[in-house]
Amino acid sequence: MSWGSGAFRTSYERDMALVDTPLRWTALVLLAAVLVALPAVASRLVLELLSQVALAAVGALALNLLTGMAGQISLGHAGFMAAGAFSVGMLVEAIAAPPWVTLPAAALVGAGLGLAVGMPSLRLRGLYLALGTLAMHYVILWIGTEYQARYGFNTGVTVPPLALGPLLVRTTRQWYYALLAIAAVATFLCVNLTRSRVGRAWMALRDREIAAASLGIAVARYKLMAFVASAVMTSLAGAVWAYQRSFVSAEAFGFNVTIEYLAMVIIGGLGSVLGALIGAAFVTLLPYAIDGVVAALPVGDGAQYYLFPLKFGSFGLLMALFLVFEPRGLVGLWERARNWILLWPLRHRPLAPAR
Amino acid sequence: MQAAASIVVLASLYALLGVGYVLVYRASRVLNLAQGDLMMFGGYALFAAATTIAAGPAVAIPLALVASGVVGFLLYALLMRRMAGHPVFAAVLVTVSVGILVRVAVVLAFTDQIRYPLPALALANPPLRLGAGVAVSTIDALTVLAATLVVATLLLFLRRSRIGMQMRAAGERPLLAAQRGIDFQRLFAVSWALASFTAGLAGMLYGSNVRLEPGLGVLGLKAFAVALVGGLDSLGGVVPAALLVAAVEVLTVRYGDPLFAEVSPFLCLLAMLLLRPWGLAGTREELERV
Amino acid sequence: MTRRMFPGLLILGLALGPLGPAQAADPYRIGLSAAITGPAAAVYAPTFDAYKAYFKRVNDAGGVNGHPVVILAEDDRGEPSRAAANAKKFSEGVIAVVVASISPTYKPFMTEAEVGKVPLIFGGGVCPREAFPPAQPLIFCSTSFGAQWDSRFAVPFIKQQAGGKKIKVGFAAQNIPISQSEMEYAEKLAREQGLETIPVVVVPGGTADFTPFASRLKDAGADWILSWAPWPLEIGIFEALSRIGWTGQYLLYAHQQAQSDLTRLKTPNLLAFGGNALFTENLPIHRQITEAVRGVTSHSPDFMAEGWVSAMVLEAGLKKCGWPCDKDRLAQALTTVSVDTLGLRGGPIEWTADNHYRKVTFYKVSRWDAGRGAIVSVGDWTRLEVK
Repeated sequence: MSWGSGAFRTSYERDMALVDTPLRWTALVLLAAVLVALPAVASRLVLELLSQVALAAVGALALNLLTGMAGQISLGHAGFMAAGAFSVGMLVEAIAAPPWVTLPAAALVGAGLGLAVGMPSLRLRGLYLALGTLAMHYVILWIGTEYQARYGFNTGVTVPPLALGPLLVRTTRQWYYALLAIAAVATFLCVNLTRSRVGRAWMALRDREIAAASLGIAVARYKLMAFVASAVMTSLAGAVWAYQRSFVSAEAFGFNVTIEYLAMVIIGGLGSVLGALIGAAFVTLLPYAIDGVVAALPVGDGAQYYLFPLKFGSFGLLMALFLVFEPRGLVGLWERARNWILLWPLRHRPLAPAR
Repeated sequence: MQAAASIVVLASLYALLGVGYVLVYRASRVLNLAQGDLMMFGGYALFAAATTIAAGPAVAIPLALVASGVVGFLLYALLMRRMAGHPVFAAVLVTVSVGILVRVAVVLAFTDQIRYPLPALALANPPLRLGAGVAVSTIDALTVLAATLVVATLLLFLRRSRIGMQMRAAGERPLLAAQRGIDFQRLFAVSWALASFTAGLAGMLYGSNVRLEPGLGVLGLKAFAVALVGGLDSLGGVVPAALLVAAVEVLTVRYGDPLFAEVSPFLCLLAMLLLRPWGLAGTREELERV
Repeated sequence: MTRRMFPGLLILGLALGPLGPAQAADPYRIGLSAAITGPAAAVYAPTFDAYKAYFKRVNDAGGVNGHPVVILAEDDRGEPSRAAANAKKFSEGVIAVVVASISPTYKPFMTEAEVGKVPLIFGGGVCPREAFPPAQPLIFCSTSFGAQWDSRFAVPFIKQQAGGKKIKVGFAAQNIPISQSEMEYAEKLAREQGLETIPVVVVPGGTADFTPFASRLKDAGADWILSWAPWPLEIGIFEALSRIGWTGQYLLYAHQQAQSDLTRLKTPNLLAFGGNALFTENLPIHRQITEAVRGVTSHSPDFMAEGWVSAMVLEAGLKKCGWPCDKDRLAQALTTVSVDTLGLRGGPIEWTADNHYRKVTFYKVSRWDAGRGAIVSVGDWTRLEVK
């Protein structure tokens, strides 16, 4: 776009590049530098919150893969996370398995569940499918609760710190870097997918299934693939969650978790990788931002009492408002604002970029 | 025998909630995931009518019923109407956020504490002995009565009344119906109002019988399994489906592992999705299939 | 007020604002994480209110050792992630953290307490294993109920009430580990004491209709039923049993809602045992609490007992700690506190180096007396030594 003027796409490699203009490169490098340098100045709370954002981003990217890119609705996201977390918990409890066993196992469980939920998608579409995933969520949680109850764990199944060979992730700062790296890898994978054959097939499926089929896209295979890929990623996020929190408990994966992730991809902007990242940050940080505002305002204790439920309500309201008024989410808002600035005072939309 | 009574009572509650899903789905192809929260709202409306204006049951009950219906109408008029033309799942997600908002409103007004509307109305709920050692509470019996009446009336309403026929027409052939000049907006509004009315009724009965708390909405999800098992577009299917799901649930509690009961409606749902996705009595063509 | 007065008032307000209530001395800073909203809020939000009211009173009277106590309250909604963020938020600058929430939030606080060496006081939620002897150095618990000890009171009580008659005892638990294992323990105790038992009925928390569970207990022929679970389940099972015409005796743990529900149900066969004196005893301390929380909370005063006791213990610890007080000294001070509960409990709460639950725990049983139209206690406090 116009910001890239002076930088033209003169080859196909250039056209396919993930980061195409010098400005974007600069922004990316700056962002990375800030994030890496941050622990030197930031408090542990800030690092903890950013770690939560990073982990939420992985989950949101996974959901975006399925719902945003491939157009398949899932109401079982928290269930997949729980499956990953419990795979870790059970393996640690049963055979004290190290992470190089538990993480692949969690991925495998995720793949299996993705296949299981994806199977009906070959016959069903739309809402019926969402229901299957919802039912799956409850079944997974039930298994988790049963396991927890059977083994009499008071505060959930305990998980030791993440140790990969000599690499031990334990402190807030270590977790910050680890999760940042994981989120970066996940982001790279997802961005990369958008320009691959698979990614484009998914988007074709999402936009019009019959047209996609007549173009020779194997609908069934790609749908299953979307489910499996998303479930594996989600399940791994759940496994990492278990290590970071050092325990697993079914109560941590209620239906409200699914709703929070849906809110992330919707508020961020469905189908956009950037949107999933922004959404994850927005939804995770919103309650703390409201806290900050409230602390700065001179409100009495009485009013503060009402603010706690209001914080929860703000999700609901934002989600509804975005769905009704700006279905493209924060990314849509940002693009509109950017275009407005770029084109001022002569408002003509540029041609759509070639991607 | 007590088990049989339990099944009928639970099925009645599920049926009351289930018809709401069906009404909204038939009208707009939207699954109303706020149904459980609307049910909770109905219960709290009764409690509010009984406590804030100190009304007797003769005033409080009709007032709460009207309030339940009006909420559904408002939800449609203010929010869901704007979702026309958006993807269906976006509308479903809007209902999810509506559920959150209803819950927050209730917490703000009544806090999270457990509430009991019955003492506020100065009513009792004595057990009725039906012989053979079987007993149900008075409100249990009322729930069965209410469910029977509601389902029968709705069936009749759809078959006989003008709006009912228009609803069916709109559900079957939307394009033709629109060309005949049927006012869709009005039909949708009526569907939403009816759905939240029945949900509110269920909430008032449940709340009086057991308790009221803001988290009551999870019940709605179980009833949702009922709507799907019966066929999302079939009002008549709700009754056998409610009986089936309730029977599976109650019998697992009585003779199997009680913990299994919590997921049994969802297992019914999964089984139905695999075997007969259109449900016991739903229309086969309804399904969007590949 | 004229429009011209307004800027003047605003300036006055801004000038006085920073002074506020005289902050003469540095405060004691305490973190409090509670499930103020969310599904468990009905139980834990009152604790938050009790803390607010308690330390407002303390500060108005000049604080502890001449220093005010500042409670930094955070909502954790009963969610582990929020608990973790709260734990990190408290990690700088507070000398103790109080947790009033459901058990899935405990682990993040325990991890953080270990890293930061901050004492952790559980008040209102179930006591973690680490508070019982042999206790871990930083984990304390003032909650009235405690696993194993409660059943050690309840089962002999049932036996004594039966008075030698042959009875069958049923047990109702929720499908959470702590409740389930406690009821299994109670069943074992009952069998050891020669009572006939029915296997524990475990009930899922989200159950709509308790009737099938109730009829399972009724059909098994239970004369007595014991329940130790979150309140909605305990009372839900009882009400379902009444609805299907069961007339046996039901003994449940008296959580904060006990008083209002005993009064609401007015049935003679519902017995509630617990560690807190009900507000119907109307002791001076009960009147004080009622006075202190007026206007502070939307909850009824009888929901304040757990929070109030927890705040009392904290204040006692701070008093012992003196000034300046840091987290290490406070942790040390807490291991020697002995708090007179002024009748809220059957006796003092005493902590030692390896017992952070209490040296002696007390129980009392209450029920509705139709003749007197009031709640009465069945016998006086019973004491159990915690070893």
